[in-house]
Amino acid sequence: MKSLLKILVAASLAVSAGAKEIKLLNVSYDPTRELYVDYNAAFTKYWQGKSGDTVTVSQSHGGSGKQAQSVINGLEADVVTLALAYDIDAISQQAKLLPADWQKRLPDNSTPYTSTIVFLVRKGNPKSIKDWDDVVKKGVSVVVPNPKTSGGARWAYLAAYAYALEKNNHDDAAARAFITKLYKNVPVLDSGARGSTVTFAQRGIGDVLLAWENEAHLALKEFGADKFDIITPSLSILAEPPVAVVDKNAKRHGTTEVAKAYLDYLYSDEGQEIAAKNFYRPRNEAIAAKYAGNFNQVKLVNIDQEFGGWAKAQKAHFADGGIFDQIFQPQN
Amino acid sequence: MKLNKILLATVLGAQLAFTSQAADTNDTNRDADIEALKQQLRELSKKVEVLESQHAIDQQAATNAASTQIQQLDQQVRILAREREIDQEAATAAAKAAPKFSIGSNGFVASSADSNFVFRLNGLVQVDSRTYFNDDPIKSNDGFLLRRARPIFQGTLYRDFDFNFTPDFGGSSVQIFDAYGNYRYEPWLQVRTGKFKTPEGLEQLQADVNTSFNERSLVTDLVPNRDVGLQFWGDIEGGVLSYAAGIFNGVGDAQNSSNSDNNNEVEFVARLFTQPFKNTDIPFLQGLGFGVAGTSENGTSGTRDLPSTTGGTLPGYATEGQQQFFAYNATTVANGEHWRLSPQAYYYYGPLSLLGEYAISDQGVKNLTTGAQAYLHNTAWQVTGGWVLTGENASFNGVTPLHPFNLNNGDWGAFQVVARYSELNIDDDAFNGYANSATSASAAQAWSVGMNWFLNKDVRLNASFTHTTFTGGGGAGIIAPATVTQQPENVFFTRVQLAF
Repeated sequence: MKSLLKILVAASLAVSAGAKEIKLLNVSYDPTRELYVDYNAAFTKYWQGKSGDTVTVSQSHGGSGKQAQSVINGLEADVVTLALAYDIDAISQQAKLLPADWQKRLPDNSTPYTSTIVFLVRKGNPKSIKDWDDVVKKGVSVVVPNPKTSGGARWAYLAAYAYALEKNNHDDAAARAFITKLYKNVPVLDSGARGSTVTFAQRGIGDVLLAWENEAHLALKEFGADKFDIITPSLSILAEPPVAVVDKNAKRHGTTEVAKAYLDYLYSDEGQEIAAKNFYRPRNEAIAAKYAGNFNQVKLVNIDQEFGGWAKAQKAHFADGGIFDQIFQPQN
Repeated sequence: MKLNKILLATVLGAQLAFTSQAADTNDTNRDADIEALKQQLRELSKKVEVLESQHAIDQQAATNAASTQIQQLDQQVRILAREREIDQEAATAAAKAAPKFSIGSNGFVASSADSNFVFRLNGLVQVDSRTYFNDDPIKSNDGFLLRRARPIFQGTLYRDFDFNFTPDFGGSSVQIFDAYGNYRYEPWLQVRTGKFKTPEGLEQLQADVNTSFNERSLVTDLVPNRDVGLQFWGDIEGGVLSYAAGIFNGVGDAQNSSNSDNNNEVEFVARLFTQPFKNTDIPFLQGLGFGVAGTSENGTSGTRDLPSTTGGTLPGYATEGQQQFFAYNATTVANGEHWRLSPQAYYYYGPLSLLGEYAISDQGVKNLTTGAQAYLHNTAWQVTGGWVLTGENASFNGVTPLHPFNLNNGDWGAFQVVARYSELNIDDDAFNGYANSATSASAAQAWSVGMNWFLNKDVRLNASFTHTTFTGGGGAGIIAPATVTQQPENVFFTRVQLAF
């Protein structure tokens, strides 16, 4: 009996060992499509050179919160590259697919690149939007996705809130009034950042898009620099989109090694260059200096310092019954 | 604007006429008058310019107001269009996330959007008739029979956990036939526990809805039916190699487990089956499969470890007509080791089907009265062939008609002819105090022919005839199995089967 089992297991292993093609699924948030198209090509080449194996990386994109829920519900991501740590925490806590301390496994809190929130306005800035105060003025139409489903929207909301707090000596009531005025100017809520870019840039709705910095640059590249201008506010937020291997899925697929390598390579010089070229702010200082011209100087607040971390911010602002639910009324 | 020009021309004309007349009377005042007129003219021109300018401003303001209004309306239209677009996207996403329900030839299926949770309700009803010829001593064996009536509940939980619960209402009492859970790590590595078919006999492992005849061959007498246990199993490379290995309570030949064990020993079971050409480009070999299975249990005891009592009151073996032709004596019990071995093979190519197997069942027995012990070596074999007359492909999983029965279209479904020969041989030592040679046969040989009509995937009609001859037995008396072995068994079967 034992011999028979050994033969069966050996035969199975032999079948498995013969596989030369490795498949990875990267479940990411909305605006990273172009980044990971470039990065996947580079990593595939790198990994083939290193191991001889061919790795094919599939991408899945959507609002960060929705993407996290999909993984929780069974989407078999080998790695997740989401908009904010809270969404990966949710995967860890609700589906137990990776350990609670996942963020300590890679440098910089597992955030190989950062970004921030800027304004994209129509060419010539006809509404003279220069800072957050202009965004909340009556008659200014603001496009931003739904913070319930979009990571970028949550960053944008918190950036505006942080500005209002700073302007009003950390008077929370004043900040709440400010954010209420802002969302009164929002005519339509998309579920993700890419949807909002479509709303603003392609459908011609609104005077200003509160956008990821990389998404704003991409809009210039995609639709023409003669159509839009990027406005950097006086204060914004340090957005840290983290990455993680989904341990149990990767183990199940036998892709743990390549999944780890996939994320490690984001910190390599080539990975950082690709991030910078796609208008993400690289962690590597030398490469950040090289691409400094791509990014305007802006005062950035930190979510941990300003809002006590993601868990606290999520509960206070975005959970059911939170401040966003209290202040936002759909216009129709 | 025109009004202003007419007014100016009139004033100019009047002034010039007046000036011409005055030239004759007072030249001195002429220049002053002219100058005054010029002044008036300038003032009038200025007024006209002011009026024109004001008019232009008013026009621009009206244009601007209209433009703003148009822009606002345009924004409203765009917003409404975008909201509709977003609603449609949300509706599409919601539809994708909604549970799915279907009713069809595969039964009723409810599934979560991601297919991680599936519930399937299937059913099987078999209504048979059996007519025995020239069996005067035996009464009450002809007639209709509800052979199987099973709702089949099966499904998947959390993507990897399957379940099956199959009760049967066809017999005189309700029985649980299958009740198991299965964890599927990968197709090649799965673990199943509960009550299910022991992986031994080839025809026994074929689903009830797909067997060639109403009843399985004599070989099935020597292999276990369903048992309670745990097995690791899997299909490698899509079934090129299939394996199963597990431990079970252990049941007597042809027996269904009574859901609990009757001794302290477990039965080890292993089966290896290969279809080496399944994934090749050699069509006539793709349907070839062969393998071997075996079981081993020490410490069998009592009558429950002896063969099923189908057709009789004592443990024994039954014909394909489900009548007992061999019975152990009432004082005989299982004793010690019981092992089985079954090489097996099938071959399917187009409409052709061939299935064959050989079975050995070696069972230790004891006579409780004398204390004598023996180790009996019983064997059986069978070969079944079939041909689908309407050209459909035959397979281990049955025949699917290319043109399901529909009189309006002139379609009749699929027809298959089948034939089988099988034998079962009892060890001669069985008749040295463990069975009665006067009443029980030491061997049975059966041949069968039949026709299967597949009206569609779910409905099938069968008709077949089986002729069984016996070696030994046939003694006087009316106690089974003598009544069965006194003459060859000739039985005509029919079946109406609904399986969805």
